[in-house]
Amino acid sequence: MSPRAVALRVLPALLLLALALAGPWLAPHPIDAPVAAPYAEPGGDALLGGDQLGRDVLSRLLAGGRDLVLSSLLVAALVTGGAAVLGAIGALRPRVGRLVERIADVLMLLPAVLGILLVTLSWPDGGRLAVIAAAVVLGVPYAVRLAAGAAAPVAASGYVEAAAAGGERLWHLVLREVLPNLRATLLALFGLRFVAAVYLVATAGFLQVGPQPPAADWALMIRENSPGILLNPWSVVAPSLAIGLLALCVNLAAAALAPQSGRKAVTVL
Amino acid sequence: MSHTPDRYREDGPPAPAATPAARITDLTVTAHDGRILLQDARLTLRPGRLTALTGPSGSGKTTLLRALTGLLPPGTERTSGHVEVLGHDVFTLSERDLRTLRRERLAFVGQDPGSGLNPRMRVRSLLRELSDDRTPEAVRALLEEVRLPDDGTLVTRRPAALSGGQQRRVALARALARRPRLLLLDEPTAGLHPELRDDIGDLLRHLAGEHDLAVALSCHDPELVERIADEVVELRAGTPAPGTSRRSGVSGRPPEGPGEDRVGNRAGDPAEGRVAHRAVGSVRSSAGCSREDRAGDSIGSSVGRSPGDRKEVRAGAAEQGPVEGRTRHRGSGTGSADVPVLDVRGLCVVFGRRSDVPALDGVSLSVAPGAATGIVGASGSGKTTLVRAVVGLQPITAGTIRLDGAPLSTGLRGRSREQRRRVQLVTQNPLGALNPSRTVGAALGRPLRLHRRCASGAAPVRVAELLEQVGLPAEFTSRYPHELSGGQRQRVAIARALAADPDVLICDEVTSALDTATAQSIMDLLVRLREERGTALVLISHDLPLIADRTDTVTVLDAGRGVESGPTATVFTAPTHEATRALLRTPAGVV
Repeated sequence: MSPRAVALRVLPALLLLALALAGPWLAPHPIDAPVAAPYAEPGGDALLGGDQLGRDVLSRLLAGGRDLVLSSLLVAALVTGGAAVLGAIGALRPRVGRLVERIADVLMLLPAVLGILLVTLSWPDGGRLAVIAAAVVLGVPYAVRLAAGAAAPVAASGYVEAAAAGGERLWHLVLREVLPNLRATLLALFGLRFVAAVYLVATAGFLQVGPQPPAADWALMIRENSPGILLNPWSVVAPSLAIGLLALCVNLAAAALAPQSGRKAVTVL
Repeated sequence: MSHTPDRYREDGPPAPAATPAARITDLTVTAHDGRILLQDARLTLRPGRLTALTGPSGSGKTTLLRALTGLLPPGTERTSGHVEVLGHDVFTLSERDLRTLRRERLAFVGQDPGSGLNPRMRVRSLLRELSDDRTPEAVRALLEEVRLPDDGTLVTRRPAALSGGQQRRVALARALARRPRLLLLDEPTAGLHPELRDDIGDLLRHLAGEHDLAVALSCHDPELVERIADEVVELRAGTPAPGTSRRSGVSGRPPEGPGEDRVGNRAGDPAEGRVAHRAVGSVRSSAGCSREDRAGDSIGSSVGRSPGDRKEVRAGAAEQGPVEGRTRHRGSGTGSADVPVLDVRGLCVVFGRRSDVPALDGVSLSVAPGAATGIVGASGSGKTTLVRAVVGLQPITAGTIRLDGAPLSTGLRGRSREQRRRVQLVTQNPLGALNPSRTVGAALGRPLRLHRRCASGAAPVRVAELLEQVGLPAEFTSRYPHELSGGQRQRVAIARALAADPDVLICDEVTSALDTATAQSIMDLLVRLREERGTALVLISHDLPLIADRTDTVTVLDAGRGVESGPTATVFTAPTHEATRALLRTPAGVV
């Protein structure tokens, strides 16, 4: 893939991220004051109509992405990074690996929604942090299995053996020898974990643990406005589209950034 | 030869010999960064003829072979020229037709065939999946064909439980199972012991002659090339086309008109060519096998380059070397004045739970400071396992390893960094030995920094120096392993081991992927290091003349047991054990 093709695939995600981050300043109306009738159809002042209290959907859409995007990115990065390091250590030290996998097996039995409720209800003041913590704890077990599986052949390769025999410490093996060669896998994992994190954070929003009204939040908007979906469909469709688009774009970017050939691995026909 | 001709069904009348099985015309292949890997390469393969590609490492042998399969190495592309295989232009064929062609007509065995074998499949399934005849007899016949007779457990083993030489033969058997019309082999005999190498050479000749196969192989071994090849194409780095040398084939076909199969080609940039010459220059000028002597010569006319000549020359070289660090014999006590730098006793290794077949069974090895020790044995006899156990990569079940009299922990983790530095291993497989995401410079600089072998500011200079020692230009520091050929990677791996400034350097078949001139200069480098720094050498090789000339003592392994050891000259002239005699009784073994 040429650099331009890579840039083209990464651009949508960057644009969407920028929009979500800058959204609160771009919003034409305050997010907590009515500007139209409840569930007003699009038109006039409100381009996407009004929500259940007559607040501007567009403004709330612009303002409601930042927290979701930031927490999802943070969760995805923490999960992928943690799983990559744990997986690589597990592949290099089989005994640690077995322990990590058994713990992951147990944690995987915990249903996601139950896990989120457990963490957020036992830490009521946690807000976003509680949701992030829950999402990380729930995400790592899945990711670590994948990372360990991908790291195993790399850990058995000649160059890792050479480095180990050359006197390198575990950290050097993990960070310089194993993980750089897992870039493609880890980027794909990051994309997946991002979608899963959006899903979890949105679920938390929908369950009204985490962000509380009247805060603007895409997940919260879907929940709040679902009774009026027939009166003003945009009040639900717009935040849903935003979440879906975000997940698509981030995965597109992650796939484009993965190394295509050569350095990915030394191939032998 | 247990070859069964009926396995090759004739589909239609055999093509007349004049019709080439494959033809490459004016092929130019470049890397994405603009380096030229092949320039205006021309090659014609004919049914029933065996074509050998020779040339220094990095001259594009692998690229040329891969071009015939329509699959160039990643990161490279064809900029001009055509590749026609069995009447099809492989670069214009649809993906589907190309797949059919590769499945039914074309077989390629890569340089590191072990990595082409699915590690989860047993030998039996590996062979069955490609052949029409799935009976156990057919599998056995295939294995016998590549001289890998079934000992009862072989067909149930997975690739990880096979030695390098066995993997190579399984890969070859897989290629033959398809009954191809065109057989492409990249270094088919590297790492095999001479007898087996000649067997495989004979097998290839037989296949070419009897079944009208077109065979193309890249090979560093001039003796083998001379023995089996109908045509020799010499690829050269940095110089204009040398032309094809021919000799009338063993099959009795008259040589065709000259000049048609010219491969004018350049590997990489001019600098690479220059280096190739530098490497050549460092070979003793008296050597009968220096490139200058044979460049442009037909292989057939250079019969004088016999192993005997080589031995003579090397013997002269050996006289110049100071006689130091005479190795003591195993079992001759450990006087404090002459403690072996490496002393291995009673080493036992068992793979997995197959406790009935120990990979190593009470092997001992002793290396005096500054001495050169050889380890020889048929493939699968445990040579690689032994040295892996010595550097701590292979857990052992019994035995002791001592470095300078101090016991070494059996695992890597119990060893200090200094202990690890002092014993360095250069592995058999050059392809997997380098981290694909680090440049050559980073790979070489790391041991320098880690073991504080030079001032931090001097590291780049030292890296360039190391590269020059192994015959690579300084520009290679910024290259990634996938931009190097197999032989170049092997040399980087050697340079990396040298960077750690070891006391014991273990080389596992390091020269098998190198052309004769480069191999010679690498061996000269190792001998020089031994003389100047007192680095003890442990050489594993199937090249018995090399072991005979470059080592003081030798240990012979057979089926995991050390059956004989002693001064090389004694062992090779008066072998006492059957296995040693079997090893020495080879056409190529001149000792």
